[in-house]
Amino acid sequence: MEVLREKVEEEEEAEREEAAERAEWGRTEKMMRPVEVRKEETTLTQEMLRDLEKKLSEIQIPISAELPAFTKDTIDISKLPVSYKTNTPEEEHLLQVADNFSRQYSHLCPDRVPLFLHPLNECEVPKFVSTTLRPTLMPYPELYNWDSCAQFVSDFLTMVPLPDPLKPPSHLYSSTTVLKYQKGNCFDFSTLLCSMLIGSGYDAYCVNGYGSLDLCHMDLTREVCPLTVKPKETIKREEKVLLKKYTIRPPRDLCSRFEQEQEVKKQQEIRAQEKKQLREEEERLMEAEKAKPDALHGLRVHSWVLVLSGKREVPENFFIDAFTGHSYSTQDERFLGIESLWNHKNYWINMQDCWNCCKDLIFDLGDPVRWEYMLLGTDKSQLSLTEEDDSGINDEDDVENLGKEDEDKSFDMPHSWVEQIEISPEAFETRCPNGKKVIQYKRAKLEKWAPYLNSNGLVSRLTTYEDLECTNILEIKEWYQNREDMLELKHINKTTDLKTDYFKHGHPQALRVHSYKSMQPETDHVIEFYETARVDGLIKREETARTMTEYYQGRPDFLSYRHANFGPRVKKLTLSSAESNPRPIVKITERFFRNPAKPAEEDVAERVFLVAEERIQLRYHCRDDHITASKREFLRHTEVDSKGNKIIMTPDMCISFEVEPMEHTKKLLYQYEAMMHLKREEKLSRHQVWESELEVLEILKLREEEEAAHTLTISIYDTKRNEKSKEYREAMERVMHEEHLRQVETQLDYLAPFLAQLPPGEKLTRWQAVRLKDECLSDFKQRLINKANLIQARFEKETQELQKKQQWYQENQVTLTPEDEDLYLSYCSQAMFRIRILEQRLNRHKELAPLKYLALEEKLYKDPRLGELQKIFA
Amino acid sequence: MNRLCDSMEPRVMDDDMLKLAVGEQGPQEEAGQLAKQEGILFKDVLSLQLDFRNILRIDNLWQFENLRKLQLDNNIIEKIEGLENLTHLVWLDLSFNNIETIEGLDTLVNLEDLSLFNNRISKIDSLDALVKLQVLSLGNNQIDNMMNIIYLRRFKCLRTLSLSGNPISEAEDYKIFICAHLPDLVYLDFRRIDDHTKELAEAKHQYSIDELKHQENLMQVRLEDEQARQEELEKHKTAFVEHLNGSFLFDSMYAEDSEGNKLSYLPGVSELLEAYKDKFVIICVNIFEYGLKQQEKRKIELDTFSECVHEAIQENQEQGKRKIAQFKEKHLSSLSAIREESELPNIEKKILECSADISELFNELMMLEMQLVEQLEETINMFERNIVDMVGLFIENVQSLMAQCRDLENHHHEKLLEISISTLEKIVVGDLDEDLPDDLRALFVNKDTIVNAVGASHDIHLLKIDNREGELVTRINSWCTRLVDKIHKDEIMRNRKRVKEINQYVDHMQSELDNLEYGNILD
Repeated sequence: MEVLREKVEEEEEAEREEAAERAEWGRTEKMMRPVEVRKEETTLTQEMLRDLEKKLSEIQIPISAELPAFTKDTIDISKLPVSYKTNTPEEEHLLQVADNFSRQYSHLCPDRVPLFLHPLNECEVPKFVSTTLRPTLMPYPELYNWDSCAQFVSDFLTMVPLPDPLKPPSHLYSSTTVLKYQKGNCFDFSTLLCSMLIGSGYDAYCVNGYGSLDLCHMDLTREVCPLTVKPKETIKREEKVLLKKYTIRPPRDLCSRFEQEQEVKKQQEIRAQEKKQLREEEERLMEAEKAKPDALHGLRVHSWVLVLSGKREVPENFFIDAFTGHSYSTQDERFLGIESLWNHKNYWINMQDCWNCCKDLIFDLGDPVRWEYMLLGTDKSQLSLTEEDDSGINDEDDVENLGKEDEDKSFDMPHSWVEQIEISPEAFETRCPNGKKVIQYKRAKLEKWAPYLNSNGLVSRLTTYEDLECTNILEIKEWYQNREDMLELKHINKTTDLKTDYFKHGHPQALRVHSYKSMQPETDHVIEFYETARVDGLIKREETARTMTEYYQGRPDFLSYRHANFGPRVKKLTLSSAESNPRPIVKITERFFRNPAKPAEEDVAERVFLVAEERIQLRYHCRDDHITASKREFLRHTEVDSKGNKIIMTPDMCISFEVEPMEHTKKLLYQYEAMMHLKREEKLSRHQVWESELEVLEILKLREEEEAAHTLTISIYDTKRNEKSKEYREAMERVMHEEHLRQVETQLDYLAPFLAQLPPGEKLTRWQAVRLKDECLSDFKQRLINKANLIQARFEKETQELQKKQQWYQENQVTLTPEDEDLYLSYCSQAMFRIRILEQRLNRHKELAPLKYLALEEKLYKDPRLGELQKIFA
Repeated sequence: MNRLCDSMEPRVMDDDMLKLAVGEQGPQEEAGQLAKQEGILFKDVLSLQLDFRNILRIDNLWQFENLRKLQLDNNIIEKIEGLENLTHLVWLDLSFNNIETIEGLDTLVNLEDLSLFNNRISKIDSLDALVKLQVLSLGNNQIDNMMNIIYLRRFKCLRTLSLSGNPISEAEDYKIFICAHLPDLVYLDFRRIDDHTKELAEAKHQYSIDELKHQENLMQVRLEDEQARQEELEKHKTAFVEHLNGSFLFDSMYAEDSEGNKLSYLPGVSELLEAYKDKFVIICVNIFEYGLKQQEKRKIELDTFSECVHEAIQENQEQGKRKIAQFKEKHLSSLSAIREESELPNIEKKILECSADISELFNELMMLEMQLVEQLEETINMFERNIVDMVGLFIENVQSLMAQCRDLENHHHEKLLEISISTLEKIVVGDLDEDLPDDLRALFVNKDTIVNAVGASHDIHLLKIDNREGELVTRINSWCTRLVDKIHKDEIMRNRKRVKEINQYVDHMQSELDNLEYGNILD
């Protein structure tokens, strides 16, 4: 019955297909293959094409020669489970259905390539492609989203090109095998990715279609590296200023409108010209970068993943190229056509024309006109209502379909034959094969490593080149992980030779960014800090050979900026290092934020200590309703008047401009006190500068040490890498083991050897029990005595030997060399030690022996095997 | 403890004494020389020490306006006086004197530390103004009433107190009592109060403390209520419609109207009066609400205006600052160029350039200022027009509402007259059933009397209404003129100040340049 119904169904299906196909064919007399192919066909004959193809495949893909072939010879099939080696009846049935489907299809569409339905697996067993998909949800939260999933697949597997770039492969291995050997072709990639995506809830499909050369060979050299693309700055929309009722009118504009217009026109002309030049330049560049025309364009078979919108909040359909892990819009022109697609439930053939790549395709899988499905029932009911009024013929088909769906029991896709996909944590962490991967982009090269693979914590490096041939390095960016000095990113600009290091929170010196050309002190350095981690609120310190600038924030003294100019170092005759001979300070400029507690005319905004000229300049903050600020300048010369007395203060020693002159500031006393205060401050500032210099030296020293050591931090939860925890764990295990052994020992049966002498299975008589007990006790006593004797014997032996040795020494004392004497002495001490230990043991044994004996007696008394008897007859 | 100096002649705090003290206690060494050269003004002195000088009377201290610390200990002062001007005083030491009562400290609001140790004070009093008081020393006095402590509860900042050597310190629970009543105190008689004592004290005096606290809370609540009411009234006053949200006006109409009150006993008048009052109050409330609304509107208007003016001034200032900054940069470089230049003709040329720059800056700044003045004038005029219009509209509407009041009054008057006359007729006829109060009956002598009485009442009512209206109108008008005047004056002041500032700056620059010129010529 079952078979019959299937047959009927198949026939009906075939009929339906025919009808659908005819309708389709009738309407569009076009071919599925992209238009480019036909273009070539017009110029080349089929044979020539084949020849060319062979040649090209030999020339263009030398990679295949380099890579070890991933064939069945290298795969150990002996350990694979049964489902890999045989087909279940359902699978057999499915294969029959598929064959039938394929026959009908080739009958109806004779000029289309045969379907990719049931390639052989690693055990040479034909398996239907849908059953090769094994939806799996990975236990790693990182693999829950499609982008990280795709990235993982692209990192984890090494790409192997298809044996024949124009045909789908003859074999499609299971994902487990692919994962095991970490390499595969595009079909393996997309099968694995699709399994993972379906597992995590996406509406994903494997696609068999045609891709561009770059796509098929995973050639990213014409693509801009995503890491080099700068995020577009969001343009702030200018807020429209609301004109308030009393907003003042702008002053009258007295410029000539005409002149302005002329100016604007002129500007526009210039700009247009510039633009034109730019565009030409760009075009020229584009020309240079453009790929050479590919003779097999549109024929190269490729497989990728299609994700349909709807599930997991995916807003619109998109493609994922499993090789690179990048997502593409379905409009992308690198995807040249779709032959068929499948998920774990069904298989669809594309009946739409791909003359315009995939741009016009509609991914409405419920529409039988556009997508011919293989299995009924598991069909997606996605047919949108707008399709209803497509054409009369279709309508009838639809009605028929619907009717049949009700009647027929659908044939379900058998369960996947592939084992559960598993990725070990180690493999997951290592990611790339051998933990290393290199991707070549346009003008850029990206290298990736697994964490802890490099001893300096390097995890990825991006090298950007100036030219397409990748010879002139522009800049290098290196990302680090788990470094003890919290270094995160190292950026080396090769053109300026400027190195910039970025740190995460937690550097001992609170470093954030450090850019430098060399680690030498007193050269150009810009050091930025996490100011919240510093007590002095320093944000940034810039150092050059002659200056040092510091920026502060959030200080109680409102200091915001300090700039020091240094003079040339005075050469001292005595040899001295840089630390003890700081550069002489010529000028210190300090700026302050406004201190709201002080009135503006007393709040210093900037003070300049001209150390060399002995002058101090002050500039005060500007009051809210003023446009000028007070100034004051002090001359610090200490002069001596005609009588030889020191002039303390004269009015011309302080030149001041005050916005609002005040009484008390005119006084010499006030000025004198201000100057004294400033002198003290100057001293302090100089000290500060000196300290900052020292700190720079210290930081540089520390950085150098860190660079040299580059120790990595290991999380305490990382049981494998953390040596300490490993040791601890091992020690614990050892202790456990010993404990276990001891327990086993204590459980030794002391009666066993004596019981063995008696016939087994019989109850002991009283006489037997008593005898047993006595025997056991006497045996134990004997053993104790033996042990005591043994210790005694050893003790005596040691003593004798020692005595002998002493005797020998006494005799030969005169003739002995110092070495011999030393030997003798060390022997003596050792022997004495041994004797002492033996003595102690003997004593201990003597003490413990009776106790042990008693304990055994007690135990025997309580032993259930003997106790019963003893109790009864006692 | 009477001191030896009792035998000495009391001294007067005269200028010489003060000068000497200031000189001695002023800056020392180099600064002292300078100070001597220049002389020290009393108002610059921050701290003054006048101990062991046998002063009897505090005097001549009014010049020390900025004094922070004053020591007058170990004198023979008997009365605290002459300290009214020293409002910045933080520390006052009057220990070891002969003071008997605390007084004359009402202006010293900044005082934090007061020492009256070893005097003859018997009562803690007159310290209300010293809200910042932290340290109070009253040891060795004659305070004998424990209740004085409660007075000290009002000083929220008080942390240190000394009362030893007073009669009360003999008392048994002296310490505990103080600790209980002054829980924020940290030091008593120069010793830290430990937590244990505090707990003990709290436990012992809990009831009395709770009662005190309750009373204080009640007082506080009453005070707050009063304040809230005052604020509300203030708000209504700024809207010029205070007391119009109820029957206040109506009641006041009848407050002085004896005839009206008498007449209300006439039959039917009380109902009439009731209805009249209701209507009247409704109109009053209308006026009140309208007034508040208008006040809100005026406030918004004023706020927008001041905001816009402020923005304009800020913008202008920014421009000015930019100009000055640009100029300064250029000026500095040209000055250094002049200094480096050695050729005299070149120097002169450069100096000329420089002064041209300065005058250019002056022109630019002045132009900016003039521009702003023009713009502001326009805006201010616009605002003035609007606010005057608003006020006019408000007055008009209030007047029309008031007219309604008057109509009501007239209506009431007519009715009343009618009733009165009918009552008179009844009385004349003699068939009046109800009893009338005697003083009311006295009015019903003849028609003239009664008409006069009713008329007088009516006149009083009208007068009250007129007065209220007049008050409102005059007040709002004066407010309006004052506001506009103030805006104009402020603008003029601002302008003057800016012009002065610009001139000063430019003059300074010019003089600096001139000095340089001379310096060069001298070189």
